[in-house]
Amino acid sequence: MSFKQKFALAILGVAVVASLGAGYLVQSSYSEQFRDAISAPPSARFWLGTDELGRDRFARLLYGTRVSMLLAPAAALLATLIAGLIGGAAGYLGGRWERMITAGVDLFLSLPWLFLLLAVRALLPLNTSPVMSVMITFLLLGCLGWAGPARIIRAGTRTLVNSDFLVQASASGVSRWRLFWRHLLPNLRPVLLAQFWISIPLFILSEANLGLLGLGVSEPLPSWGAMLRDLENYSAVLQNPWMLAPAVLLVAVVGCLQLLLGTEERGVSC
Amino acid sequence: MSALLETRLSVDYPNKPGVLGDVRLTVSEGEMVGLVGESGSGKSTIALALMRLLEHKGAAIHGEVLFNGRDLLQLRAKEMRQIRGREIALVLQSPLASLNPALRIGTQMSEAWRAHASGAASKHWKVQALELFERVSLPAEESFLSRYPRQLSVGQAQRVLIAMAVLHKPRLLIADEPTSALDAVTQSEILELFRRLNREMNMAMLFISHDLLAVASLCSRIAILQRGQIIESGPTAQMFRDPRTADTRALLEAVLRNSSAVAEFARPESTVRR
Repeated sequence: MSFKQKFALAILGVAVVASLGAGYLVQSSYSEQFRDAISAPPSARFWLGTDELGRDRFARLLYGTRVSMLLAPAAALLATLIAGLIGGAAGYLGGRWERMITAGVDLFLSLPWLFLLLAVRALLPLNTSPVMSVMITFLLLGCLGWAGPARIIRAGTRTLVNSDFLVQASASGVSRWRLFWRHLLPNLRPVLLAQFWISIPLFILSEANLGLLGLGVSEPLPSWGAMLRDLENYSAVLQNPWMLAPAVLLVAVVGCLQLLLGTEERGVSC
Repeated sequence: MSALLETRLSVDYPNKPGVLGDVRLTVSEGEMVGLVGESGSGKSTIALALMRLLEHKGAAIHGEVLFNGRDLLQLRAKEMRQIRGREIALVLQSPLASLNPALRIGTQMSEAWRAHASGAASKHWKVQALELFERVSLPAEESFLSRYPRQLSVGQAQRVLIAMAVLHKPRLLIADEPTSALDAVTQSEILELFRRLNREMNMAMLFISHDLLAVASLCSRIAILQRGQIIESGPTAQMFRDPRTADTRALLEAVLRNSSAVAEFARPESTVRR
């Protein structure tokens, strides 16, 4: 592991620990309003100041990080599982099935991603509890993000299907179903892991995009996307440059993840 | 001796018709039959077609494969699966590629065992595996079971595959070039192992190879395959004494010339200069 990667890991570690330990780091909760200090500048009491509703920005940043960083991996796991099933089935079954599934995946990929996300999110109930909105957002990301990984997994399966060891296993009388789960899938592990890690930063950004448009995690629950929306108010940003902290943290976390992925992909493929 | 396997087999690939044309092979109970042919003559296709493992490639198989009186080509997929590994087993030519790189040896043995053992019997795989490892001269230890294929030598991998193939005491073992990837010493050890298994388990064998010498040393009968057709078949001794076709004669002469040239070196009063 190079110095850069150690550095990236350290930053990610600090972000994760701080978000998980938010309750110990700040006294105020993410939704508590301090009417005496609305849009306050940074101070010893509010490290990043308060927003226009008088909520502690630092507390909101930490809890928002928790929401984003916990749920992006969950969505990535879901997307990778769906991609593994669909892509794996396409490559394994071959023939007509493979052509049909591949066409479906290509069609899916040709749809404009953000508009698809918006359209589907708008179809689902918007007036839900905050926790429900978190669930919906990330289920949606997971259910819509499988197509890209599915293509790569299909290609990986395709090369494995004709391998000697699968012929040998079916010659031992192993059933087709078991052949897929017990003999083929373990060989796809490196590909699946790589797709999982690559999806995480993608989903963090997608959540921020949705949040920015007001379709992500709903108030009062904070998330990176919702906090980025505050930046629309240009003069407020000039008064309190600390409002940029969520954006900086987002860029830092995604950047650090990308830096780490370089090794992760190589590391697991051996 | 009654015929265990009797074939009349034609195979067409979608883009290559006539890969095998009416191949007639007979293997009796406990007999060792050799199938010799040059590269590309359709040897591996025979091995896979007999196990019905060609179907997913879109190959069309015609004719009949009578095994123990039943036509394998007419069986339903589920019935065929019951035959694979239990009645007929297969050993392929590249040992290291035939083992799953992501699974431990023990896992692969237990998978092969469980394919035909359910319920209480499915737990006995370890005893069976270790007993067979002993017989094929592999370390019969638990630690060996937890190894991955990349930690084995080619010879060891081939022994593991042979142990896996005879796990359910099949009546017929099809070996597709099982010694081609091995060095001469390992090769003769594996041939000796086949001989012993044939004797001890009364297991018939179809030994497919391009190596006429190996086949002749092992098998009592030889069939010669050329461009998807059997051009000659008969008892080994008779074929060497009195080959019927010119192609066979040419093949025999090439082999004999080489081996006698080598034998010349070994003589103490050798006059050959090198």
